[in-house]
Amino acid sequence: MATLLWFQGGACSGNTMSFLNAEEPTVCDLLTDFGIEFLWHPSLGMELGEQAQALFHALARGEKPLDIFVFEGTVIRAPGGTGRYNMFAERPMLEWVRMLAPQAGIVVAIGDCACWGGIPAVAPNPSDSTGLQFHRRESGGFLGADFRSKWGLPVINIPGCPAHPDWITQIVVALATGRATDIALDELNRPKTFFTSFTQTGCTRNQYFEYKQSTTEFGQGTRKGCLFYEFGCRGPMTRSPCNRILWNRQSSKTRAGMPCTGCTEPEFPFFDLAPGTVFKTQKISGTIPKDMPAGLDPISYMGLAAAARVATPQWAKEDMFVV
Amino acid sequence: MTATVNTKRMDLHVSPLGRVEGDLDLRVTVEDGVVTQAWTEAGMFRGFEMILKGKDPQAGLIVTPRICGICGGSHLYKSAFALDVAWRTELPPNALLVRNIAQACETLQSVPRWFYALFAIDLTNRRYAKAKGYDEAVRRFAPLVGESYERGVTLSAKPVEIYAIFGGQWPHSSFMIPGGVMCGPTLSDVTRSIAILEEFRHNWLESRFLGCSVDRWLEIKTWEDMLAWVDENESQYNSDLGFFLRFGLEIGLDRFGAGCGNYLAMGTYLHPEKYNRPTIEGRNAALIQRSGIYAGGKHYEFDQARVREDHTHSFYQGSGLLHPFEGRTEPIDPAEAKRQGKYTWAKAPRYEVDGLGYVPLEVGPLARQVVAGKPGEDWQDVDPLFSDMIAKKGPSVLVRVLARLHEEAKLYRNVREWLRQIDLHDRFYIKPVEHESGRGFGATEAARGALADWIVLENGKIANYQVVTPTAWNIGPRDSQNVNGPMEQAYLGTTIHDPSDPVELGHVARSFDSCLVCTVHAYDSKTGKQIGYYRIGETG
Repeated sequence: MATLLWFQGGACSGNTMSFLNAEEPTVCDLLTDFGIEFLWHPSLGMELGEQAQALFHALARGEKPLDIFVFEGTVIRAPGGTGRYNMFAERPMLEWVRMLAPQAGIVVAIGDCACWGGIPAVAPNPSDSTGLQFHRRESGGFLGADFRSKWGLPVINIPGCPAHPDWITQIVVALATGRATDIALDELNRPKTFFTSFTQTGCTRNQYFEYKQSTTEFGQGTRKGCLFYEFGCRGPMTRSPCNRILWNRQSSKTRAGMPCTGCTEPEFPFFDLAPGTVFKTQKISGTIPKDMPAGLDPISYMGLAAAARVATPQWAKEDMFVV
Repeated sequence: MTATVNTKRMDLHVSPLGRVEGDLDLRVTVEDGVVTQAWTEAGMFRGFEMILKGKDPQAGLIVTPRICGICGGSHLYKSAFALDVAWRTELPPNALLVRNIAQACETLQSVPRWFYALFAIDLTNRRYAKAKGYDEAVRRFAPLVGESYERGVTLSAKPVEIYAIFGGQWPHSSFMIPGGVMCGPTLSDVTRSIAILEEFRHNWLESRFLGCSVDRWLEIKTWEDMLAWVDENESQYNSDLGFFLRFGLEIGLDRFGAGCGNYLAMGTYLHPEKYNRPTIEGRNAALIQRSGIYAGGKHYEFDQARVREDHTHSFYQGSGLLHPFEGRTEPIDPAEAKRQGKYTWAKAPRYEVDGLGYVPLEVGPLARQVVAGKPGEDWQDVDPLFSDMIAKKGPSVLVRVLARLHEEAKLYRNVREWLRQIDLHDRFYIKPVEHESGRGFGATEAARGALADWIVLENGKIANYQVVTPTAWNIGPRDSQNVNGPMEQAYLGTTIHDPSDPVELGHVARSFDSCLVCTVHAYDSKTGKQIGYYRIGETG
């Protein structure tokens, strides 16, 4: 049995909605088969009003054990560090976070907002939003780089906009079944088991990528080609299992013809959505992609591209995902 | 529960009132057990409209879905149409079909998820322990473990699998773009979608929820038809909908929560052959689920030019009453704003109705279904049922909930038909010219009501972007004339049987399905002292 408390700060509920799509286990199974006790969740909560506040205070004082504290959404600090742009249960949400996080066995940030600020933190960041332990790529965030929960761990970041339900449920099951020590974290405190491979790993367009064959346009044009060259796809530079663990058990954005926006990385949305950057590959002198596939330098890239173009078989110039 | 009520008049303030998504505080004054005043207080501000200013014209496709993860697909749908208008694009029929399918699948998902996870839990409140159907309500609707809850919430993930087939994932895809959609579906994408939709119909919609075929349910045209349907056979009598109807009447959900009685639908589902050159002027005539206003007992055409946002009582500079093309979002510290009589982050959208001035209008399924009652074309949603219900029963929590549930059957049918109409050999996208300047308006009906974007492009970037959400329409505050917003009005006159557990307020809040967690606070009206917070809803 493990207790779980789920709060939302500057959030859209997208991670909660994603979580509810889970299968194996479903949200209901988490409760019955894995003994997760949902102390409170904004959408699933039963204790409300005074009872809820009494519960939150008891948890904050350490009178009632809190094993897993899940936070969704940014920590809103405006105006002037008071957090009054986000009131919850009679006080700024940031005060609840400040009180509850140190009492938790483990703190889990769900989604980009909680990890490092996400979209609300895009300039001019009107709500002065930040993540629990990162602000974009910079360690620190609201709780500070040195924060450790009761089990001696930093905040576990499960990024994505939203996070995939399996990334959430499998980590919760790991915690509930005593496998906390198996959760290895990368330099952004993401579980390595999910965030070592690339979004591109398993993408159905990989052969087009190999031969440097671009998708020509959206819609019917995505029946062939790779989205990296013209449409700003960040699949080769983004760490996520989106093409290993499919979305809604069916597909992924890149499979469906949508460029990866890099939403498991702290820079999302990239280039702060500046004019000319949305769904368009940024290039140097009009030809070489500004952001290289991970680990490549421009010289190697150009050599590889030249060789690939020469070697391109005819089928790689044709539609593959046909009616 | 500790507080007792000694005064005849008291104020209730429940914080937090969960299960409505987001943060909403509700303050009510109760006199002799009846709500006489109400204030809805949205407690969180992120400033998306400020973030969008100066950004890439297409930034709204990425940013606006993240305003609300519950109806992100609806945000995408209207933001794509706003850009289509601004860039004067051409849309192939397939693009309109795929957008419609995706938007409708999001709503198909939302209805069971909302009904079981957010609304029906309150039916297990112990206030109803003496009701005949109580044990059955608990068996079905108890949170996480109720038989219907578990099935309904789990199967609600099915329709958005179809969304993922076309859009890659749900929530938060951005696959609708000016000129069409990003996908080029294959045969198996369409056949798999049909199979998933049929599974959803078979395993939940007909077998558990309706207890009859979709076609049988849609034969219901009047309130009497609906009552006759319940008693027609055991399957319908014992379905979740049949049970809800019986239990809802037993506990009196038809006797409170009327609201303002005036309605707005901006409509959605653009006809695949009638909106291939999107314009503001051409939109109304191309809507399958129609737009319109029903106010003072009369139907009016919807005109986006008549929309205003008042923020006299909202935490922004000034008082507003601006059209969204001129809209401003300048937040102020709530502590300072409260001294000016402001009490919420929500703005107060208003609509100018001839002879009535700028009035609040309720949005959502009930509004859509009342608008569906006016005469229309055979390809449009023309349906007399809720005009009949309003005339015979008047609006209430029960009627508002039934309108939402009723749409589920219609949307199933729509999606099935749109999947049939996709021509896999035709285009899904026509590359548009990316004009430097332009103005666009895009709208839809999210599960919970009218949702619209107004975009102004100048010099290849966003000069102004305003989003007016269904939640703002419904839970928005008083305006400059001190007229309450629709949800505030819906509380008025509600009888609170037990001030220590005012479940009635939860029913009203959740019948609107706002994207905000609602919270009720209680004060002693004489001393102004807060006497407690109250939970709304509890396990059986």
